[in-house]
Amino acid sequence: MEIIIIIVSLITASLISILAKRRGIIEFFSVIASLVALFESCIVISKVLSQGVYSPFILFSVDSLGAIVLLIICIVYFASIVYSIQYLRQETAKNIIGLTRARQYFALLNIFLLAMILAIVANNPIFAWITIEATTLSTAFLISFYNKPSAMEAAWKYLIINSTGLLLGFFGTLLYFTALQGKPIFATWDILFSNALLLDPIIAKIAFIFVLIGYGTKVGFAPMHTWLPDAHSKAPAPVSALLSGVLLNVAFITILRFKFITDAAVGVEFAQKLLIIFGLLSIIIASFIIFTQKNYKRLLAYSSIENMGIVALGFGFGGLGVLAAILHMIYHAFAKSALFLSAGNIFLKYGSTKIINIKGVLKTIPATGVLFLIGFFAIIGMPPFGIFLTKLFIFSAGIASHPIITITVIILMAILFIGFLKHISVMFFGEKPADMIKEKENIWLVAPPTVLLALILFLSFYQPHFLQELINNVILKYEF
Amino acid sequence: MDTSLLQFLSGIIFLSILFQHLTKKNFSAVIAYGIQSLAIAIMLFDSFLKTNDNSLLCIFLIVLIVKVILAPTFFIKLIQKHKLTFSASTVLNVSLTLICLGTLTAVAHSQKFLPLTNIVPEYHSFLSLSFAAIFISLFLIINRKGALSQTLGILSLENCIVAFSIFAGLEQFPALQIGIIVNIAIWILIATIFISMIYKHFGTLDITSIKSLKD
Repeated sequence: MEIIIIIVSLITASLISILAKRRGIIEFFSVIASLVALFESCIVISKVLSQGVYSPFILFSVDSLGAIVLLIICIVYFASIVYSIQYLRQETAKNIIGLTRARQYFALLNIFLLAMILAIVANNPIFAWITIEATTLSTAFLISFYNKPSAMEAAWKYLIINSTGLLLGFFGTLLYFTALQGKPIFATWDILFSNALLLDPIIAKIAFIFVLIGYGTKVGFAPMHTWLPDAHSKAPAPVSALLSGVLLNVAFITILRFKFITDAAVGVEFAQKLLIIFGLLSIIIASFIIFTQKNYKRLLAYSSIENMGIVALGFGFGGLGVLAAILHMIYHAFAKSALFLSAGNIFLKYGSTKIINIKGVLKTIPATGVLFLIGFFAIIGMPPFGIFLTKLFIFSAGIASHPIITITVIILMAILFIGFLKHISVMFFGEKPADMIKEKENIWLVAPPTVLLALILFLSFYQPHFLQELINNVILKYEF
Repeated sequence: MDTSLLQFLSGIIFLSILFQHLTKKNFSAVIAYGIQSLAIAIMLFDSFLKTNDNSLLCIFLIVLIVKVILAPTFFIKLIQKHKLTFSASTVLNVSLTLICLGTLTAVAHSQKFLPLTNIVPEYHSFLSLSFAAIFISLFLIINRKGALSQTLGILSLENCIVAFSIFAGLEQFPALQIGIIVNIAIWILIATIFISMIYKHFGTLDITSIKSLKD
């Protein structure tokens, strides 16, 4: 029932966004829908905790891994919606967009959330594929939102690369069904898993390669990552926050579900090796490209590629790395979303995403400047933020089994830190332009990233019992 | 279905993609896609005849409407509206393209992929051909510079995967198949809108000549 309520509220909010004439009504219903989604996701979590797997209908099923990601999605979405209201109002005041655009924005954003939630709760791999493809379709127009040539190009690139990738993922998905060898049935993830031993090992391996390349495109693994920096840098800031903070996790979860089946068919080593290869490649590319970046939103996008690489390494190394990878996904989601929202404030003030045009942020918009710096320290893995520990755990999981890879990654982290810091110091500590005056920052543009950063700080010191239980269940269920 | 008819249909699918690689005219490429989709629709209709399952008839009709009628009509209207008679060129020249096509087809037929193309042993040659068609569709997306050709490449890739799944007996639950086709229909609509917008913004559909992201 909870999932139906979420679906109905989001569809209603989308319809109201299309039909309503007054901006206030659209904003009100979008906030209500995001609150309903957040509230209902908490109820779903309580049911997952009590039942193990919550499956109200055959179409939907939420396990502990799904519950964690569901909560992340709803929290980040609520923050993004609250932020979007003021962000779009300011853009309207500057004549960048009109009411029609704002209506389209909220309608598509609600559909985007719906597609992500359905991808997480889908009980069938094909249904999950349909909903993940729906996330591509709903966000294409959000990326081209500003209707500028560069945004158009980024959206086209996003559409073509992701659709191609997802079709390859679809082919891989179909290959898993060879284990069933029968009449078409609504095969759930569990049915596929229980038939995994009937899979031809070579077909299982080929299928996983297709799935990893396919959904890996959506995750932003190198070398299929080329769409990600363009799309994330051209979309409005709250959309970038959602794309980077949560959509990547949604695609990653799908890969993990297939890994679970593949492991049962061919053993854990095959998928682990592939995850390590893609993870390492992503970190290498991101580390060096961050150094040469000229655009701060692209900088954050490459940081997402690097962080997804770290998560892949965690799952690839196994053991303690898995626990760290799950926590890393949570921390990254909140930190990166907060960074993109702060980047939105910088864009509103300076009207540019080029690093060269941004100077003295701490003097012009000090609250945002401080938030961005905190976000930077969080994402780079400075203590006391949780990412410091998750990276440490992942490296300690890898140092025994893959010492060369682990040491290479540690060196790359250092390069990445220097590259990131080089850009940040220019933007934040330089002298502000003479014509740029210090203004009081709008509370609704500062509060959402503040809450997200407070959350990551809180979770770095203390993980609530329910979260610990969910993470333990994930590790037990997936037997990494 | 008669094996010779299946052979004919799988041959049509493969040849239509080869043709899309070689043709210089957008209109011909769209027609080739329409014929390819018709071959898929006939395969689905055959599944209905075999099983008498009305949901399969429904799927056949939706495929016929979306892929055989609506998609080509959309694209032809787009070509006429923007006078996009000739497609943008390819990354590789014709000889290199043919070498790549030959290599990809050979790879798909290699022993490495035998478990995949032997899922249903009696359909081994059809599965090999469909698998090769998947590879060359992928190559079509990469090799073509035009936005419309890339779109047709993606739709052809989807058709080849459907053909493979039919030969391999991997057809999905009817409701899911309808969901996939609806998804494809929305995708076609969005791609068409984007192609139109790209042409309005850049005055060309040649993706390689669009370099507004290089800042």
